[in-house]
Amino acid sequence: MRVLILLLTLAFVAPAHADLLYVLNSGDADIQVLDAGTREEVRRISVLREAHHLVWAPDRSVLLIGDSGGNEMLFIQPATGEVIRRERISNPYHMEFSPDGKHLVVTSLRRNQVDIYNWDGADLTLAARLRVSDKPSHLAYRPDSKVVYVTLQGTRSLIAISLETNQPLWTMEVGRDPAGVIWHRDRLLIGIMGSDNVAVVNAETRVVERRVVVGRGAHALFVGPNDGPVYVTSRVDSRITVLDPGSLAVLHAWNVPGGPDCLTFDPEGRVWATLRWAGRVGLVDVESGTMEETRVGRSPHGVLFVPRRDVAAAVPAPAP
Amino acid sequence: MFDFIGDLWIRFTGTLFEQALQPTLYALGLMDWADDAFQWMDFFLFGLFSVGVVYAVCRPLEAWRPVERWADRRDVGTDIIYTLLARLGILPLLAFILLASVDAWVIGTIADSGWVPPSLENLWPALRESPLLAFAVYVVVLDFGEYWRHRFQHRIGWWWALHSLHHAQTQMTFWTDDRNHILDDCLGALWFGGLALLIGVPPGQFPLVALVLRLAESLSHANVRLSFGSVGERLVVSPRFHRLHHGVLSAGESGRNYAVLLPIWDWIFGTADFRRDQFPLTGDPDASPVLVHGGWFAQQIEGGRRLWGVLRRG
Repeated sequence: MRVLILLLTLAFVAPAHADLLYVLNSGDADIQVLDAGTREEVRRISVLREAHHLVWAPDRSVLLIGDSGGNEMLFIQPATGEVIRRERISNPYHMEFSPDGKHLVVTSLRRNQVDIYNWDGADLTLAARLRVSDKPSHLAYRPDSKVVYVTLQGTRSLIAISLETNQPLWTMEVGRDPAGVIWHRDRLLIGIMGSDNVAVVNAETRVVERRVVVGRGAHALFVGPNDGPVYVTSRVDSRITVLDPGSLAVLHAWNVPGGPDCLTFDPEGRVWATLRWAGRVGLVDVESGTMEETRVGRSPHGVLFVPRRDVAAAVPAPAP
Repeated sequence: MFDFIGDLWIRFTGTLFEQALQPTLYALGLMDWADDAFQWMDFFLFGLFSVGVVYAVCRPLEAWRPVERWADRRDVGTDIIYTLLARLGILPLLAFILLASVDAWVIGTIADSGWVPPSLENLWPALRESPLLAFAVYVVVLDFGEYWRHRFQHRIGWWWALHSLHHAQTQMTFWTDDRNHILDDCLGALWFGGLALLIGVPPGQFPLVALVLRLAESLSHANVRLSFGSVGERLVVSPRFHRLHHGVLSAGESGRNYAVLLPIWDWIFGTADFRRDQFPLTGDPDASPVLVHGGWFAQQIEGGRRLWGVLRRG
């Protein structure tokens, strides 16, 4: 009986770490932190203007969230959603750490600039600012961290920038309004938002080798867990298309109303999507393609699933 | 309740965007404007909604206690056309798009120096944790800007040549608020939009700030014998307060009561007139018949002619 009471007491007293879902409401100037299990709001973080994208620090100790209109980078404790600090950064829209963890490249969609920051594990230092042509949107790295590729939405092109010299290497045309870009098995995959396809680019030869039709308004791309399928969102057809990671053949196409934009994955392989125009996040079951919706703020954009194991690891142990 | 209405609005605008506007943008090759279009569609629909709200509030007031009654209301009809052109956001939208591009270029160029532009929240950190307070501060700052724009409209000769179109109306109603020369509207949009960008008003809030000011302006033009009382008159511009500004003796440089939303600016700068029993006739004795009774196009031409006349005289 005592053991039972003790267990019950522990169950109520010990911190029950939940999986967390970070949702960046770009139209509401806030970030919602949801309990991914119950979908209840755990915390709401105010930002100055509009948060669009977020990224893990290389050691996964902190989340970086860019407030583009507010010219701020928020450093967030991932386990609790607590704001550790805010730093003045010029118009951070999309951003990614280089694979070697030494650089953070930030695109400024509204300022036509690409900023290259050095990262020492704690702080960002601006190394170079490049003035580029219209609307630098998303970015991806070559696996050796020597080159970053940025889509230029307003000029139908992709620019390659050397991280050794911080200078542009070349620019090539890839299609109307290119948006998301990822490096995938020696090729660049680019969502062509002004069209219906993913452009498969050979960065060595600078040739668009093929186009994979996914749906009108092809936007962002994500590689599933364990180097699995490639997921592509299409805004106009409101669709998530699943591509075979090797052949890039279409495996599934899920129609998800609401304008799917960014995706994140939970350990069970389920897909969470922000639905920009519907003010919701959707949880897609990959087996059935069915979706559950949860109301969030206006124009939700970036989204990240933080698993319980990361949450638990990041929370300091209670004092004895 | 508010959540339910808010959700209904999001679903309505989201569906409209997905089913109509976004496919159109796609067909026109304008998908890189999709995010901005989504925000401005909200503004447009909100504009329609606000015209309905203004009508629902002001029209019964005007029927209840009108200052003046007219047998022939054709001149009011012209003002309705002005309102529909302005309230649906076409001019503000153009100005904002133009300014956003210019802003991107200017701030981008400045950013090369390493300087990061400020916002009011950076200068006053308390605003950061209180979006409502921040919103109120932005309204106050923009209203202050509008007060001075209005004074310049009366003080500068060529600007008055344009603005006199607004003052020519002898049948002033809540529709009169948007009775402006198109060049005057452009200058107003540049002034307002420029200040909004300078102090860092977020694009998402910009339409709401504009809407608050515009709602107040409509009510202040209403043909209603209404004062807000000795205290209220000093807090918010009333129909009586603004009617004094439109009185026949107030046209031109000798104006008073310039405030758009907050009379405190007139109070501070010595242009306030708080006499609560005054409801004068409106109009500009120097205005030509076309400026008073003409249609929208004729008035635009006449306003341009007057502007040219002032510029030619130097």
